[in-house]
Amino acid sequence: MRYNEKELQALSRQPAELAAELGMRGPKKGSVLKRRLVKLVVNFLFYFRTDEAEPVGALLLERCRITQEEPSGFSICFMEDPERKYHFECCSEEQCQEWMGALRRASYEFMRRSLIFYRNEIQKMTGKDPLEQFGISEEARFQLGGLKA
Amino acid sequence: MKLNERSVAHYALSDSPADHTGFLRTWGGAGTPPTPSGAGRRCWFVLKGNLLFSFESRESRAPLSLVVLEGCTVELAEAPVSEEFAFAIRFDAPGVRPHLLAADGPAAQEAWVKALSRASFGYMRLVVRELESQLRDARHSLALRRHSSWKAGPGHQKPQAPERPSPGPENGHPVSKDCRPEDLVEERGSRPAGRGLAEWQGPAGLFLGRRQSPSLPETSYFSMLHNWYGQEIVELRQRWLQRAWASRPERENRDGH
Repeated sequence: MRYNEKELQALSRQPAELAAELGMRGPKKGSVLKRRLVKLVVNFLFYFRTDEAEPVGALLLERCRITQEEPSGFSICFMEDPERKYHFECCSEEQCQEWMGALRRASYEFMRRSLIFYRNEIQKMTGKDPLEQFGISEEARFQLGGLKA
Repeated sequence: MKLNERSVAHYALSDSPADHTGFLRTWGGAGTPPTPSGAGRRCWFVLKGNLLFSFESRESRAPLSLVVLEGCTVELAEAPVSEEFAFAIRFDAPGVRPHLLAADGPAAQEAWVKALSRASFGYMRLVVRELESQLRDARHSLALRRHSSWKAGPGHQKPQAPERPSPGPENGHPVSKDCRPEDLVEERGSRPAGRGLAEWQGPAGLFLGRRQSPSLPETSYFSMLHNWYGQEIVELRQRWLQRAWASRPERENRDGH
């Protein structure tokens, strides 16, 4: 799959929702914990060597699971291969909770579900479709089932 | 730079809804030589959230390319061959060439430009925030109405509260009449965080029943976002309102006023 690294690098420079130096261990066997600057930007998690401007890598946070790991750490795994885990070590339990919360809400599909939930609730309460005033009620991305691929 | 490509490809093929699909001609991004005829290469494109994938064919299971639609603009463009329904995805980053694409006709071109220019995470977040505040307001006024009707006593129906229009089916989602909105006011505080849905961000929560709900993003999260993204949101909102304004005549025609 072809993608332009420069586009992703530009995205990694955008304002982060959360950024911190965390311990990180990749999914490969024998990987060791390394110090990384970890940045959450929209639905991508970028990780950097602490002395470099360009990221080492990026994780798209769709169809993933965030799990708490002892002690004060968490892991990210993806649906197509749940055994492959990216481990992260935080400084405190509090920091760990902050990251887990932010990562669980970082997916586009989560935003879409939230939107559909709010839309239905408002419609039930007021009898009006809240998206109509903006002329976007027909948008495929705001529908329950969406288009079939 | 590494990317969890297998997970990205998995997402591309997953059963979660695609936001737009269709054939487009492409003149390749970086590293692709132009086709000899100059007519571009016809590929199947799938827009999912803020990601645009291309495939060799409709049935193909391996994406050829990925474009992340963040920090870019979509505009009409001139294709190498004249009279093409072309458009370009431009990135505001040094050394990044625009992606040149062309649809088969004017309607497809318009639909693609519209879908792509509304694909960013920020746009989705803006709409979610708007609806979140609308729901909070609706609940607040409902609570006030309940309070005033309680004060008026059971004998006095219809206090000064405005009449609610009766709910009707819209967009194919019938509005349930048996739902008591009052429940929702209390429900909010006591509802468990909905971990099951939130844990797998996958299809588990995609096809929600009417009474099911995804874990409610806490208000603190949105106010945090508001502070962090305040400026960005103000700008996006302006652009959004302009766009909403621009599409008004179209709506007015349809609504007949």
